[in-house]
Amino acid sequence: MIHPPQSLSPAGAGLLDRRRFLTGASTALGSIAFSSLLGREGLLAADPGFAASRPFAPRHGHFPARAKNVVVIFCAGAVSQLETWDYKPELIRHDGKPLEGGPAVTFQGPAGNLARPQYAFRRRGQTGKWVSVLIPHLASLTDDIAFVHSLTSKSNTHGPAENFLSTGFALDGFPSLGSWISYGLGSENQDLPAFVSIPDPRGVPQAGSNNWGPGFLPAVFQGTPMSAKDPIRHLAPPAGIGRGDDDAARALLGRMNARHADAHPGDGRLAARIASYELAARMQLSVPELADLSSEPAHILRLYGADDASNANKAAFARNCILARRLVERGVRFVQLFNGAYASGGELNWDGHNKLREQYDKHAAILDQPAAALIRDLRQRGLLESTLVVWCTEFGRMPMFQKGAEGRDHNPDGFTCWMTGAGVRPGVSHGTTDELGRRAVADIHPLYDFNATILHLLGLDHEKLVYEHNGVRRRLTNVEGNVIRELLA
Amino acid sequence: MNYIRPFILAALPLCLGAAGAVGTELWSLAPVASPAIPVVTNTAWPRNTIDRFVLARLEHEKLAPAPEVDRATWLRRVSLDLTGLPPAPARIDAFVADALPDAHERAVDDLLASPRHGERWAQHWLDVVRYADTHGFEVNTERPNAWPYRDYIIHAFNEDLPYDRFIREQLAGDVLGQDAATGFLVTASVLLPGQIGADEPSKRLARQDSLDEIVTNIGQTFLGLGVNCARCHDHKFDPVSQRDYYSMQAFVAGVEYGERELRTPESAARRVEKDRLKARVAELDHDLARFVPIAHPVDGPSKSGMTRAAVNPRLNTDRFAPTRARRVRFTIRATGNLEPCIDELEVYDTAGRNVALASAGTKTRSSGDTVVENRHELRQINDGEYGNSRSWMSNETGKGWVELEFAGDHEIDRVVWGRDRNGEFHDRLATDYRIELADASGGWRLVADATDRATYIAGKSEPAPPALLGLAPDEAREATRLSAERKQSAARIAVLDSAGTAFAGIFRKPDDIHILRRGDPEQPMDPVVPAVPVALGATASGDDTNEAGRRLRLADWIASPTHPLTARVMVNRVWQGHFGTGLVDTPSDFGRNGSKPSHPELLDWLAGEFVRSGWSIKHLHRLVVLSATYGQSARVDPAGLARDADDRLLWRFPSRRLEAETIRDSMLAASGRLDRSMYGRGFDLFDLRGGLTGFKPVESYRGDGLRRMVYAHKVRREREAVFGPFDCPDAGQSTARRRESTTPIQAINLFNSRFTIDESAALAARVAHEAGVDPRNQVRLAWRLALGRDPSPSELDDALAVSRDHGLATVCRAVFNSNEFVFSP
Repeated sequence: MIHPPQSLSPAGAGLLDRRRFLTGASTALGSIAFSSLLGREGLLAADPGFAASRPFAPRHGHFPARAKNVVVIFCAGAVSQLETWDYKPELIRHDGKPLEGGPAVTFQGPAGNLARPQYAFRRRGQTGKWVSVLIPHLASLTDDIAFVHSLTSKSNTHGPAENFLSTGFALDGFPSLGSWISYGLGSENQDLPAFVSIPDPRGVPQAGSNNWGPGFLPAVFQGTPMSAKDPIRHLAPPAGIGRGDDDAARALLGRMNARHADAHPGDGRLAARIASYELAARMQLSVPELADLSSEPAHILRLYGADDASNANKAAFARNCILARRLVERGVRFVQLFNGAYASGGELNWDGHNKLREQYDKHAAILDQPAAALIRDLRQRGLLESTLVVWCTEFGRMPMFQKGAEGRDHNPDGFTCWMTGAGVRPGVSHGTTDELGRRAVADIHPLYDFNATILHLLGLDHEKLVYEHNGVRRRLTNVEGNVIRELLA
Repeated sequence: MNYIRPFILAALPLCLGAAGAVGTELWSLAPVASPAIPVVTNTAWPRNTIDRFVLARLEHEKLAPAPEVDRATWLRRVSLDLTGLPPAPARIDAFVADALPDAHERAVDDLLASPRHGERWAQHWLDVVRYADTHGFEVNTERPNAWPYRDYIIHAFNEDLPYDRFIREQLAGDVLGQDAATGFLVTASVLLPGQIGADEPSKRLARQDSLDEIVTNIGQTFLGLGVNCARCHDHKFDPVSQRDYYSMQAFVAGVEYGERELRTPESAARRVEKDRLKARVAELDHDLARFVPIAHPVDGPSKSGMTRAAVNPRLNTDRFAPTRARRVRFTIRATGNLEPCIDELEVYDTAGRNVALASAGTKTRSSGDTVVENRHELRQINDGEYGNSRSWMSNETGKGWVELEFAGDHEIDRVVWGRDRNGEFHDRLATDYRIELADASGGWRLVADATDRATYIAGKSEPAPPALLGLAPDEAREATRLSAERKQSAARIAVLDSAGTAFAGIFRKPDDIHILRRGDPEQPMDPVVPAVPVALGATASGDDTNEAGRRLRLADWIASPTHPLTARVMVNRVWQGHFGTGLVDTPSDFGRNGSKPSHPELLDWLAGEFVRSGWSIKHLHRLVVLSATYGQSARVDPAGLARDADDRLLWRFPSRRLEAETIRDSMLAASGRLDRSMYGRGFDLFDLRGGLTGFKPVESYRGDGLRRMVYAHKVRREREAVFGPFDCPDAGQSTARRRESTTPIQAINLFNSRFTIDESAALAARVAHEAGVDPRNQVRLAWRLALGRDPSPSELDDALAVSRDHGLATVCRAVFNSNEFVFSP
């Protein structure tokens, strides 16, 4: 193989560049060159049989993994840390006073006075952690959760901040966390996509498909959007195409491709494309079975709140949570579960600028029981042993109300996310914000660190999971990131 | 408040390389050499100079080139390559039968002369500059007049605009008579006013980000250099310091993202016509007002029993008997959803003057506001400006009120209001409301409400034409005439508006640019003046107070025939377009982290030839596609595979999967439904032209949806539903080279989409119509149209059997999915 000697590690790109890899892997020499390349670069330990015809073949990480699968519960719109997980009794005392030395103008405009947490806090579990009464079901799980209260973001604007949370860059166009992970690890199920993204029943979040986009990674690693109510597009032909016609077209296609491959021996890309039709055919069978929740017993529906006739959004989100569990059960590597939609003055997501309390009452009722049930259900099935569950939001909110409003403005300087499940130390609260919750003051962690920790639990070194793009070795964590060891079991 | 600061430390891209110490000579900065033409052993094989370079290297590696491909396959290859469409059967027959020695040359000339050529090669360029028709980022709204730049690119490739001129026009077309060309400067995603934080650091960071995108685009596209790596500190591997980077920013520090009027000989006339029409529309509105049915509020004067049109998001008129008033109150009692929003509230006196305007001295009060600075503010309800970003929003769901107090009393008879006159937003519409008037003494009187309006159905209501009910015949005629004229005038204004402007940047006095410590806008250090990186030379000196002069100086420097990077980078892009991989396989990185060329002498010879030809891109195309290298078959040879699995040495033609656009366009060409009309506003891939969510893909295409995909309205981030997963860029970051991936989603899309089913049926219908009743001839023609060849006897039998039992469309569906159809041969 001809590799320009000064070329940057081509291993990452070469791993998936089919011209190099497939043709290479189809010969003994190619395989040897390929494995030696990986050995030299110390990158991904490659399955020697890995080929573009099996893009989701399971691959080993850089070291033994604590978790095999991930479920990310992504609360769009920026959940207030002060109304949920970050207890600030001093804020009650300072209610209605100005924040000394605080900003006169924040993201949306003039700042008002400090405002007490809008919900009471209670001690929960063995750890006695103070959690808001807004989310009683999730609060009952705190003994199993590792919290980071001192996260910071690079942007105070939803779209760029969601990009930053999901891709490590505030700009558009970079690969998402789920894409990086399925690129690194493949999947345990060859009949389903490695990465499934489940939008909130009310709509998609502000950065939209950037949250599950492949950026410059091969398209195969992008998240496939589906939900309990919207199955994968084009899974079946349009109405009017008979089953017999469908089978006949597929069979004829197979014969045409076989004849063509015979006439063009040695071209691995032709084989890869034939294989992609076979995987598609298997998906056509496995996805409808997966998405069919009718086999779920009544007590499971009740556990999640999927039977709640009084709250359609909650029931729909609960069905998405059940779908998430079914995906994990089937070995799908990365499941992204959204709670909250796009900009809507806080009506459809957690962006509580004006009437925080009124809106959070609604949003918490949708999130709380189904999300808590998902974690319980994973645990009772033994899946939490191998599944990491992450709860995140793009930034937090200010301790002041906005001038003339009863809600809080954007605050990227100190907010809370958490994780639980495989490899996570239970009952940890790491990092602190100041006594009013304005900004992180101890153990400050940019979101890079949080993402580095997720990769670490999956056996991936965030500095080694790289892909070359336009001459730059790109990573999820740019040139930053430190694993937050305090969260590890 | 400076919450950005801690992260600036982290903002540098990851410019880490494996090798290459700074200080050693970078090959790409050496002057372009005039290499000796190599001597080869097999003198019969080369057709032109390219072949000598390629063959010399193959011979050195003890490899032999592949045999020449057959003529029909060559024509298919070169047609797909140069025009993105397969050759018509008649064209193939004529070419195969053409015994003259210059048959290949003439075929290539025909393809290069076809308007389809510019459409095909424009796509490569648009990938690199990440062109899109939406703004990206936070709201991803439509960028409605981006397309003149796309059209400019297509036209430039078709005209074979000399590349040096092409560069100058894209950087400074405003002073070179090519306004649309500067769309290049502002192709990136950008945060619009209103999406940027209200605090000053947020604004400064947003400005820096938007300047950075321009510098990045210039560096990568023309020079193949990631100069933006030096935004936060000196480039680790390439000779670009932080000072160099900010000095580059200074060239474009007067560029703002925005629309500009295209100044053409026609544009002045257009402006005059537009002003005249706008004045006329105002007159017509006044004249038409008397035909708007009078409102009959629930507790007002006796009901007429007539139902007025439902409210609509764009424009509503409430007319009442002339009344003397000092104040008007508009109270919202219900909305379609969310907090109500009104973009403008107008009140007309009997003389047809809008007396609500703040500029007329009218004051406003409200029940409470949701304030988003410069987007939703109370002052914007009577500022004379339309649209969501110039509107008022209540702070309560489903209710709120606004009160106007005039400077004096007015005799008024009309209130006109809307949610969004620009027609983009349909939410937050007041569906139940009351309009009350008060005179100076204060007593409120209801003059209009929604009780006599029809029920609002979301998505159904358009501004109502004047109701003719109850009008005398001559009045009805008059109303119809005025209304028709108004509609015509408004349509013409819309045409004039979009014909005359382009999202091509606004130019103003340049910002002062400083070196920013760690890239942090809050830590400015030394000021800089426009200059190119020191290691790369220097521009001519010039007057920095002349904004366009700055850009022109930069353009002249880049477009210099002696610049070591400019010609090399472009000939490499052209080579990549033909072979899938460039001679340098990192097409936008000719720096130390990029690859070295596989054939350095060939790259330099081509670069020299490019400049000598007067920067003719078509000259490069001719050289490449008429070479023996390009004319090889794609057969895989064990010796070549063992020695050079990547085929970087070109021991065979590197066949590859076609791009998304070529597959879609070729299906339409084969089915006979391709609409070849060129240029203009993009056709819709979705029910929305911008936004974050809820894009419903068009399923069945008709009309302009059957145009080539380069004319699709490109929504950033939202990939086209069927072909997008075939590695279409999302226009976030530059795509210098598309990855070629193979996924099951591609398979289900191409197999099951309505598009494939429609085109399969259309191809079946076409061949049934054109080939006569014999099913054999029908299958033959389908093969020739889609695959450019006759079916073999066994293929014919196979297809006939399927056609007999399942219809010819089923056969066509398999053909469109076949590897032969979607691979370049």
